[in-house]
Amino acid sequence: MTSNLHRETVEAVAFRAGYLTLFALMLLPLLVVIATSFSAGSRIAFPPDGLSLVWYGEFFQSRRWLEAFTNSLVVGVGTAVVATGLGVMGAFGQELDDGSLGTILAPLVLVPLLIPPVILGITLLMYFNEVGLRGSYWTIILAHTLWATPLVYFVMRSVFSRFDWQQLDAAHDLGAGPIQSFVHVVLPNVKHGVFVGALLAFIISLQEFVMALFLSTASTQTIPVLAWTEIRQALDPMVSVVSTFLILISLGALVLAVIATNLEWVSKQLS
Amino acid sequence: MSEITLQGLEKRYGETTAVEEVSIDIDDGELLCLLGPSGSGKSTTLRMLAGLETPTEGEIRIGNTDVTDQPAYERNTSTVFQDWALFPHKTVLENVAFGLKMRGVSTDERHERARAMLERVQMASHEEDDPTNLSGGQKQRVALARSLAVNPDVLLLDEPLSNLDKRLREDMQIELREIHEDLEETFVHVTHDQDEAFTLADRIGIMNEGELIQVGEPDEVYENPKNRFIEGFLGDTNFIDGEVARASEDAVHVETGLGSEIVLPAEREPAVTEGTELTLSLRPETLSIDGSTTSGSEHERPMMADGSAMNAVVGTVENVLYRGSTVRCSVSVGGESVFVERSAGNTETLTAGDEIRIEWNGADVLAFHADGERVTF
Repeated sequence: MTSNLHRETVEAVAFRAGYLTLFALMLLPLLVVIATSFSAGSRIAFPPDGLSLVWYGEFFQSRRWLEAFTNSLVVGVGTAVVATGLGVMGAFGQELDDGSLGTILAPLVLVPLLIPPVILGITLLMYFNEVGLRGSYWTIILAHTLWATPLVYFVMRSVFSRFDWQQLDAAHDLGAGPIQSFVHVVLPNVKHGVFVGALLAFIISLQEFVMALFLSTASTQTIPVLAWTEIRQALDPMVSVVSTFLILISLGALVLAVIATNLEWVSKQLS
Repeated sequence: MSEITLQGLEKRYGETTAVEEVSIDIDDGELLCLLGPSGSGKSTTLRMLAGLETPTEGEIRIGNTDVTDQPAYERNTSTVFQDWALFPHKTVLENVAFGLKMRGVSTDERHERARAMLERVQMASHEEDDPTNLSGGQKQRVALARSLAVNPDVLLLDEPLSNLDKRLREDMQIELREIHEDLEETFVHVTHDQDEAFTLADRIGIMNEGELIQVGEPDEVYENPKNRFIEGFLGDTNFIDGEVARASEDAVHVETGLGSEIVLPAEREPAVTEGTELTLSLRPETLSIDGSTTSGSEHERPMMADGSAMNAVVGTVENVLYRGSTVRCSVSVGGESVFVERSAGNTETLTAGDEIRIEWNGADVLAFHADGERVTF
């Protein structure tokens, strides 16, 4: 009995140690990136030759980087809005009427995720040139939406599957029309899911590179595209600074998602 | 005015027919109970009345307006759902005020009216509560207040009491009855519980397999059921199969497994002939039992001057079941098993193995054809 217990403890410890090692190995490159961003020298090296904030200063001085930063935010927010709208509506509509269209919707929505981004990038570039959208933010937003919508859609499918649909009946019954009942009854129940879906869409857009490379112009360049151009010229710690910002934004989004989904739970525990 | 007319109402889902040709007129201010086993189409009928389901065929009129194609949110009906369907992210007060909010009533006014409704259902002290923290009985009251707050022409109740325990359910039945008398609104109440239907209803509509079989006042459907299904559904009874041995102008004699002929008085030339197969229903409340088995005159002269026909059989008690206020004995008579009931207060105790004599008036026995249709003599 005792030896059994002992063995189980050893196994648990071994498992935890292995798990943490793997986890550390995966996160280490991120730490290297952050560390090199504080470099005082003019090239990326680890360990950094001297610590300073000089490249952070450079970043805030650089019009190109600040523009790329703004572009990424515009495209990210745009993608989050469009993809969330489409994904939520698609999942909601399918719950209301799971007809023949519904059965092909799930695989259809998945298709963009299965096509290599290079091919999507080229195809979309030709398409947008044809319809006269070239150079607009919309080209990148729509491209990213193709990827982000399926994720929002599947998040919302699972959220709606836990929704008590009798509430919608009750809302209609009490005189709430289709829009009123969605806003007053459905949305408050699924708002966490919508928020998480939107954050996912935003992060997808923020880190997407291949399609953005094809579709962006000098004035709509996003951070990954500019980083790529810069790295090809000089491997200076500016790239690390930008990467650090991207990591921080993603982490910040994650924290926001956790807070959003748990805030109500926390407040219930406190009251 | 909010009388309701259902005309040839039908609902089909692909091949399955949930509701078939339901036609009924419900009076203004009436409390109608739709009673039936689960899957009988009663809830679907109610949902069509609410506008939550669209009928495949037929017409619904409320107060002389054809509402068949009106969506739920345009109809002035209001439903209390089986699981109450309270909005979990709103307070009790906001739940009750929701319908008024959708009608554009100002915040102050709708809160005032919602408070009055909560007062009526004795939930005034819970207005700031989260509905998910309420007990079943409290949720039920809030759901009722929420539906009444919009002042509906018709209140629809979809088995709202079925999730409550027995005691609470009986209290709520009486309260619902009082609210109905106060408001004088039309109520349609769906239930599978015949006691609930008898307690609440002005009239009962009994449904089975999508069809509305009989509509009538509680005592009428109980005493005069249209077919065997209703007789069996509305309470416990003994069904005894038999065959007509003789039929004359004043009596029908039925040969059964009870060992002796059962004599049913007839008022006119009976519509049965020798050999017709019948099922007889002997309700326990019409059977009287007697410990003495001496009298043996049952075959001699069963017809009385007033047209009643006394029948009697002797049997052996098989087991005795205490059911609270009554004691139920199953008695073996001939090859059949018959159950009888007596009140638990009766001092004469029966035990298994006792010989007892069961008597009843043949006029209290209902007869049904093999296809379930009622036969009257």
